[in-house]
Order: sequence, then structure tokens, then C-alpha cells
Amino acid sequence: MDQVSSLLNRPKSYYNVDGVGELGIGFMCLGFTFMSWMQLRAPEHSLWHKPYTVVVFILAMSGVIKYGSEAIKKRITYPRTGFVEYRKRDTVWIPLTVGAVVAAAIAVLLAVARRAQWEQVPPGSLIGLLFAGSYAYGVARTVQWKWIVAIAMTIASLWMALLPPKAVGAFLINITLYGVLLLLSGGISFVLYLRRTQAPTEEA
Amino acid sequence: MKPLVQSLNELDRVIHEPGRLILVALLSGVERTDFLYLQRETEMNKGTLSSHLARLEEAGYVEIEKTFRGKIPQTLLRLTPKGRKAFEQYRRGIKSAL
Repeated sequence: MDQVSSLLNRPKSYYNVDGVGELGIGFMCLGFTFMSWMQLRAPEHSLWHKPYTVVVFILAMSGVIKYGSEAIKKRITYPRTGFVEYRKRDTVWIPLTVGAVVAAAIAVLLAVARRAQWEQVPPGSLIGLLFAGSYAYGVARTVQWKWIVAIAMTIASLWMALLPPKAVGAFLINITLYGVLLLLSGGISFVLYLRRTQAPTEEA
Repeated sequence: MKPLVQSLNELDRVIHEPGRLILVALLSGVERTDFLYLQRETEMNKGTLSSHLARLEEAGYVEIEKTFRGKIPQTLLRLTPKGRKAFEQYRRGIKSAL
């Protein structure tokens, strides 16, 4: 029965068979780095400090990720290894609920850290460890070489804890590192996928 | 021994066959998928896969839709509510029997 249960999860891991899932998250991490960097560098009254700019930037980034992923799936993945449409429960309700719970947990963690002047272990490190843990559970479990990425993420999170308290941009550097790691990992997966698969010429 | 035999006898024979069990388990994790995906995941040949799907369709567990992706024919498959219910019942049944 355990094997049947593992079959139930196979379609979920199929989403990242071509590395598109990681490419999307990596792109998002670098997008946030870019936005935060612009906010740090830009003058106080510039566009980058306006709330609507942040909203427009996030919407544009989400649009690029969503439609870019869909285009790769439609033109490359589905013709080669098959089409999968996920249940609304798995693509909308569960991610929304998990996202809300994680966001609430992070908010509580930040509030506790601020109140307790918690400088020994920056909350960013804990958030990073949570991220690395989620990656290990969701991705590295199914593709063995991706444990290297999970370990690199863990090291990066621990490294952040060793930095002097309130080090400028430490969290930003970490997010950049996660972004680069995910883009690399996703890119390697994508190239390997293209090499190993070929679209059948007959019926799909 | 009698309750065990009885609960095993009550298992849905359409789903109990290993090939079809794999197909139903895969289909239960998605909204819909195509023939190519199932063939790749199960490593069955086209004939075997087609016959299992036909049996599942006959039982009302799977809905088969023939369509085209560009010029290439595509077969889309979806587990019906009846099929989903039958699979859940089967899982409960086999758990209690074992």
C-alpha cells in the first residue's frame, strides 16, 4: 500500500521534471533581490519606494513566471513526456493554506525575534533553513543529486547566522544565493530533460 | 479467517488488478492527463494500456476524450467521481483487510 501511496505523489513531482518549478522560484528570488536592491540604492522619493511600483513589479514578475512556465510546458514538456492537469485542490487551495500558515509563522517569528532582541540566530537564518527543508522534502527527495542544492542552501542559511548582527544586506545576499542555486539546478534539470527525452511522432 | 476472506472478496476486482490499480492511483492524483504520460509512468505498451483503460471506462471509472494537439491525436483521461469513490473505498478495504 506504501507503493500505491508513492504513486499518488508521482504527478506532483512531475511538475519539476523539466526543472521549470525551480527556474520559476529562482527567478522570483532574483526578482525580489533586484527590487530590494533598487529600493536600497534609489533616492528616497524615487518610483522604487512607491507601493504601487512594488505591486506592479510583483504582478509583472508573477506574470512572467506563470506564462513562461506554461509556454515551456505546452511547447516542450507535454509533447515529450505527456500532459498533466492538476486538481484545483493541489494548485490553489493547499498552496494558499500552506502559504498563509508559513507567512503567519514567519510573522510570529519576526515579532518574537524583535521583542526578544534575538541577535544570536537571525530570523533570516531560520527562514532560510525552513526554505532549505521544504526544498529537500519537495524536490531533493525525488532527485538524488539535488541534495547538493539542499545542502548548499542549508550552509548559506547557517552562514547567515554567523554574520555580525544586523549585517547590511545579509538576507539579500542569501536570497540571491538561493535564486542562483535554483536557477542553476533548474537549468541543469532542463538541459538533462531535453537530452533524455524526445517527442513521439505518433499519438499522445 | 472468515472476515479476512470476506473483506478480500469485497474488494473491487476492476481496481484490484495491478495494472489498473497503478492507473487509477496515478489518475487519482490529477485532474486529467494524457495517454503519453500514463504510458511513460507505467512503462506499459500501448495495447496493454489501452485494454486496461477500456476496462476502466466500461466500469464507469474513467472518462476518455479523443482530441488533437496540433495535428497529432491526443487521448485525454480523467477519473470520474464514481472512479474516485471506488478507489477510496478500495484503499479503505485493502487497509482493513491487511
